[in-house]
Amino acid sequence: MFSDKSIAVTDEKLVIPEMKYNIEKVPETDRVTQFLKIFAALLKETNYGSALELYTKVSAKCAKCTTSCHVFQATKDVKDIPCYRSELLLSVYRRYFSLEGSIYARIFGGFELTEEHITQMQHSFWNCTACRKCVLECPSGIDHGMLTHIARYILAEMGLTPRALVISTREQLQGETGNTSAIPLIALKDSLEFLEEELKEATGEDIKFPLDVEGADYIFFAPVSDYLMEAETLMGIAAVLHAAGVSWTIGTKYFDAINYGLFYSDLVLGRVLRKMQEETQRLKAKKVLIGECGHATRSATFLKTYWQGEGCPEIVNILQLTHQLLREGRIKLDPTKITERVTYHDPCNLARQNWIVEQPREIIRAFCKDFVEMTPNKTENYCCGGGGGTVSIDEIRKYRTTISGRKKAEQIRKTEAHYVIAPCANCKKQIRETMEDNNVDGELVGLHDLILKAIVINK
Amino acid sequence: MEDLLNFAKGPLFRFSFAVMLLGLLRLFVLSLINGFEAKKKAPDKSIPKGYVRKLTWGYLFPIRAFRTKPIYSLVSIIFHIGFILTPLLLYSHALLFSESIGFSWMGISLSKPVADNLALITIFAGIILLLLRLTSKITRSISRKQDYLWLLLLVVPFITGYVCSAVVTEPATYKTFLTIHVLSGDFIFIFMPFTKIAHCILLPLSQWVTARSWKFVPEAGENIEKILGKEGQKL
Ligand code: HEM
Repeated sequence: MFSDKSIAVTDEKLVIPEMKYNIEKVPETDRVTQFLKIFAALLKETNYGSALELYTKVSAKCAKCTTSCHVFQATKDVKDIPCYRSELLLSVYRRYFSLEGSIYARIFGGFELTEEHITQMQHSFWNCTACRKCVLECPSGIDHGMLTHIARYILAEMGLTPRALVISTREQLQGETGNTSAIPLIALKDSLEFLEEELKEATGEDIKFPLDVEGADYIFFAPVSDYLMEAETLMGIAAVLHAAGVSWTIGTKYFDAINYGLFYSDLVLGRVLRKMQEETQRLKAKKVLIGECGHATRSATFLKTYWQGEGCPEIVNILQLTHQLLREGRIKLDPTKITERVTYHDPCNLARQNWIVEQPREIIRAFCKDFVEMTPNKTENYCCGGGGGTVSIDEIRKYRTTISGRKKAEQIRKTEAHYVIAPCANCKKQIRETMEDNNVDGELVGLHDLILKAIVINK
Repeated sequence: MEDLLNFAKGPLFRFSFAVMLLGLLRLFVLSLINGFEAKKKAPDKSIPKGYVRKLTWGYLFPIRAFRTKPIYSLVSIIFHIGFILTPLLLYSHALLFSESIGFSWMGISLSKPVADNLALITIFAGIILLLLRLTSKITRSISRKQDYLWLLLLVVPFITGYVCSAVVTEPATYKTFLTIHVLSGDFIFIFMPFTKIAHCILLPLSQWVTARSWKFVPEAGENIEKILGKEGQKL
């Protein structure tokens, strides 16, 4: 069943040309049979069948999705049309798993799954950043993001997942450090101590990052890369929680909010969330608080699904909490500190379904004089270009910043803002690199980075 | 010809109408069952109701239609109105209905000039849709055979119907056109539940089913590992 093409892939030593992301090892067995076997298992166990069954029947092929896809708008390649990409998976479903399709195929022949088709899916579903903007435009109600999610899950069971994600996840679930950035606990403690010193210098206050406090109101999970790359964000968050007198803690046994499972595997999603549950229960925390991160927050909402036993705590994003504290007058922001123009990027996972959209804006308006919106914004925003886990694939930086990040670069440039706020670890890395590679002026920050500059702490 | 026409008008019509009704009903019920099944299997029952409602109504009625591709949308809406209203409200159709199933709505049927013009508009709209589809590289690249064939098939009863109503008077030609008219209508009914035209019954459910499918089954991941013989394996 092996076609020439798949042998060519094997020969090229793990590098897949079009998309150029690395995988760990090329699966050896017949990929077609494998794909169908995994697909069948997925349909048996998950809820995706209902959606697939419906999508194969309603798709009207109207091409409205093309108007909203940042990737397609950059490449103009028909293979990047969301509906084209979705059809790659839907055609497999229709042919092998739907009643009508399999009868039709028996009589008239037609589509057959091939090695080549699998190779195409392997590239295509990682060109999509799973931002789900096209979902808003599909009159047939097809969620192309869900199809990307399903296809990537099947591919992941075959070992066809970007190596960067697999390695991080393996460290998080099975490694010594238990987090995606492989930060040892000692290093974490060191860096928190350092941040506390910095905070003392900046505010004159003893602001702590409380570790392993039992019975706190909030257990805080940051996207762990923040401890390496986003010191200001973390300091801002600590300052807010300190100023408002919130009881919170960071668990030393598990402190990572990143969950790549949302991007490529429900198995991983569930396993990571189990770790979050264990740590939350160990410290008897009342609520789960997630730092500035879109996918981490959305994946944490799946705790409601994966929590074992009773008593799943409420899941709160730091933007929601800070907003609430500001409204209650428990924190004060000095409106004279930020005078430069500010714009706000909506992380897709927070904004697409109109979930956390107004809160950050209210916070920003409370202390930034010159706030401008990008167009489009809120639920209709464009992806940063690094969504769906692609930002973590370093070998495709060029693709990310020049192709999928092009739209964002244009948007930011138009605002002429000095500060670009992106309250998401993924978006931060991506937008920073995009601005650099596209020569866009301005400074990329988290929302709490700016809050840190403006917060008034009563002595 | 006479026999064929009577067959198309009689038994074939009843058969195809039944296929359509039962077929669409089956799809609707199956999708409902699938959605509720998904709800049962997922511990998290909440869905973003406002969002689901907004998108469902927005596309069921042309509320969100003009956000993108406005020309296409306008033509498509005219086309839909044409091929849904004209046949339903035509006097001679109402007559057929009352003859074959003893139930009809002749009271609200369209006058002949209105119906004739609506038919022309529908034909025109269908042809524009076909041209739009054919002339853009984007739509061509995602179109399947049925996407073209449906537009062609859908205008056939309108062209022949118009010819019968407003062009020919000679009985033999009239019969021929009428036969094609009725036959194409029958085929449309038969194919509806098995092709993309199922959207006419499934669209109200699609946003809801999507939201339901996003609610996961907690054991699924580990069970899939078991099925694939990878139970307990490390990543
Ligand atoms: C009454 C419920 C119906 C609704 C709400 C509906 C809605 C839609 C929508 C949203 C589209 C996508 C394109 C667009 O945005 O305009 C579409 C396309 C289409 N519909 Fe319907 N439809 C309905 C009934 C029907 C029926 C009964 C037929 C045929 C017998 C039909 C035939 C088509 C065809 C052929 C297209 C594709 C047009 C093209 O080539 O782009 N529809 N419909």
